[in-house]
Amino acid sequence: MLWVALHLPLLSLESFAATLAGTATGDGIALVDERCIAAADAAALALGVKPGLKRATALALAPRIVLGQADATRDAEAVRAVVHVALAFTPSVSLQPAIEPGRAADTVLLEVQSCLRYFGGIARLLERLHASVEPIGHALRVATAATAQGAAVLARLESPPLCATLEATRRALVAAPVWLLGPGRAHWEALQGMGLRRVGDLLGLPRAGLARRFGEVLLAELDAAFGRRADPREPIVPQRMFETRLELFARADSSEQVLVGAQVLLARLVAWLAAQHAFVQRFRILMHHETRWQQGDRTPQATALEVALAEPSRDSAHLLVLLRERLAQLQLPAPTLELALQASDIVKRAAPNGELFATRQSEDEGIVRLVERLQARLGAGRVQRLCASEDHRPERASALRDAAVRPARAPRGARREAVVADAAPRSCARPVWLQRPAPLAERDARPLLDGRALALLSGPERVESGWWDGDLAERDYFIAEADDGALVWIYRARLPLSSSGESGWFLHGRFG
Amino acid sequence: MDAALVSAAAVRPPPGRSLAPPARGGSLQRSGDAVLRRAPETLHPDLWLGHQLGRSAAPAIATGFARLDAELVGGGWPRGALSELLLAHPGVGELRLLAPALVATQRAGRLVMLFDPPAALAAAALAALGFVVDELLVVETRLHGQGAPVPTSFAALRGGRLDRRSGGDGLWALEQALKSGHVGAIVAWLPPRLRAEPLRRLQLAAHRHDGAAFVIREPAAAARPTAAPLRVSLHPGGGDRLQLRIVKRRGPPLESPLELELPSVLSAAARRRAAGAARQRRLPAATFVAVA
Repeated sequence: MLWVALHLPLLSLESFAATLAGTATGDGIALVDERCIAAADAAALALGVKPGLKRATALALAPRIVLGQADATRDAEAVRAVVHVALAFTPSVSLQPAIEPGRAADTVLLEVQSCLRYFGGIARLLERLHASVEPIGHALRVATAATAQGAAVLARLESPPLCATLEATRRALVAAPVWLLGPGRAHWEALQGMGLRRVGDLLGLPRAGLARRFGEVLLAELDAAFGRRADPREPIVPQRMFETRLELFARADSSEQVLVGAQVLLARLVAWLAAQHAFVQRFRILMHHETRWQQGDRTPQATALEVALAEPSRDSAHLLVLLRERLAQLQLPAPTLELALQASDIVKRAAPNGELFATRQSEDEGIVRLVERLQARLGAGRVQRLCASEDHRPERASALRDAAVRPARAPRGARREAVVADAAPRSCARPVWLQRPAPLAERDARPLLDGRALALLSGPERVESGWWDGDLAERDYFIAEADDGALVWIYRARLPLSSSGESGWFLHGRFG
Repeated sequence: MDAALVSAAAVRPPPGRSLAPPARGGSLQRSGDAVLRRAPETLHPDLWLGHQLGRSAAPAIATGFARLDAELVGGGWPRGALSELLLAHPGVGELRLLAPALVATQRAGRLVMLFDPPAALAAAALAALGFVVDELLVVETRLHGQGAPVPTSFAALRGGRLDRRSGGDGLWALEQALKSGHVGAIVAWLPPRLRAEPLRRLQLAAHRHDGAAFVIREPAAAARPTAAPLRVSLHPGGGDRLQLRIVKRRGPPLESPLELELPSVLSAAARRRAAGAARQRRLPAATFVAVA
């Protein structure tokens, strides 16, 4: 058995930073625990803010520092994303509880012996693991060992070793400091007073005495780490439906700030999809508004934005582009305090093969994505296809339908045959451009366009149709040439005879 | 040295004497002379002399009209670059001109997109020209409804009928389609009085597009320079004919306009009548004053 442990040393800081959603931090971030600083990021550390300082001291050293509280549920959400990333590699993933009680688990354990061969060795597996966790944006310490507890303990070191065998694990553990064990941290002063600094020092002592002084838990952990005791871990099963929340530190007034928060949620969604080997068809973003802004029933409590995809996708860049275009058109009634993402409509499929050269399939997918992007920005009804219908009235013979309804594409062979049959363009007395019929003036029984007489070249073509839906059209169509030489399509309405002095000539189209 | 460049083919230095000053390496000097004696257009495909027609790296798309192919760089519409068509009003025969190239694109299985057509399209007419009507995509970014009168001049498109936002959205949509590289051919009707900067962006985006990209603009745009390598001005020529002036291309400007015969919509009798009407139109009105 080979266990890989992913330890997130800055979990609380990073999950707090995610809630800031891009608002500019002045002098760094720090987490406050009752009255003292519990953790500080690199920018704050550079200014001299260290864990253990009082809050007032920290503010004096770095006046623009952003202080926040550690939140176990928020950390648990963040770790879940890393768990989903790990689930894409192996099904046996479990969480190791944190050393300090009351904090969220911050170490993810993966059992990878069975999939080492598929990934081509431990080095490549770790490389891919790093690359997958990068979009989520957590700092990682990775250790490998032959036992789960051993890997979890070794991952907490500053530069964790990678041990492949049980002997190597035992050697590394013997040299590890004793405060990496849970009870070791609790009884640190006593152990130091006794001169027990390394785990190896504990091994030589009588077991009964250790158990009496420091509890059975210490012995259990030691035995599990050294492989002398069975340590079965319950694998985590990913949830059926995806739901995650992010509470923003400062209220988001603009859609750009909402977008930065939504990016974090989308990264978690993509990790969960990768764990399920699935693609998302539709997802929903809920923006919960500040309650102070609600006046009566006018402002809703939450605004929901649903994004539906024509083709199921797992590409976080593409999802972000769609979300950005839709958010840009949405008017938020009140500032947003909390974001939630739900996805229940997923499709389980094998991932498409990557292609080096463009093929017809990749071109079709690219066109679907282009249409989705255009529809997200312009609106769903702006990208349309032309449909011909059987009607003699020219204005009803063609209509535009939304492009979402795709006609079933005939196989290429069949289409080619149909097209080759009409190889040469037929001469057709129909114009390409149609407009709403515009009345024309008349002089000497000849129609005028822009004051110039039209020369009638061809016609009349009589169209009498539409008595069944009340839109009777009785027209005689002529092709006429305008003064500048362009061909126009005009008609003379036969009935009803107009009494208001109109000539009855109408311009219906132009030959493009 | 200069003498060798100017009359490369005609003048040969007398044997045993070279025009260049004596240099160190003998063979290097000889090969340098040989290079300078060749005509510049044989040195690199991107070089040409002012009186020659340029060459294009990618094969051009056949226009379907042999006389037009002979006058265009590469023998057809350029790929990966904008081709500007200037029309006074829609309905001079522009779609019948572009139809052979667009239909060939559709037959190859690629997508043809139309952006902001100025009026409603008739599916029957397009089908008669050879298009597969179901496979066309029409993107409408302006806000006025379909069925508005075909404007006699593009200036009518300005004013309250356009949403202030739609100008930016239309150009964005066009740029996205050009950059995606999956679209086969694009025909776009641009808003009037477009500045040079958005047009240059579109031309840069067209480099990632591997088919033909046609943009249709108003004739007043001819007064301003364009980033597109080909600019053609269209006028109706009476009947089924189209008068085409190549205003800008990679080569010498065309002096006389081309007269092309478009796929006809008129019968033979109608064509005779059209010729008669054209003759009548060309004679000045004073000829018909009756002298009693």
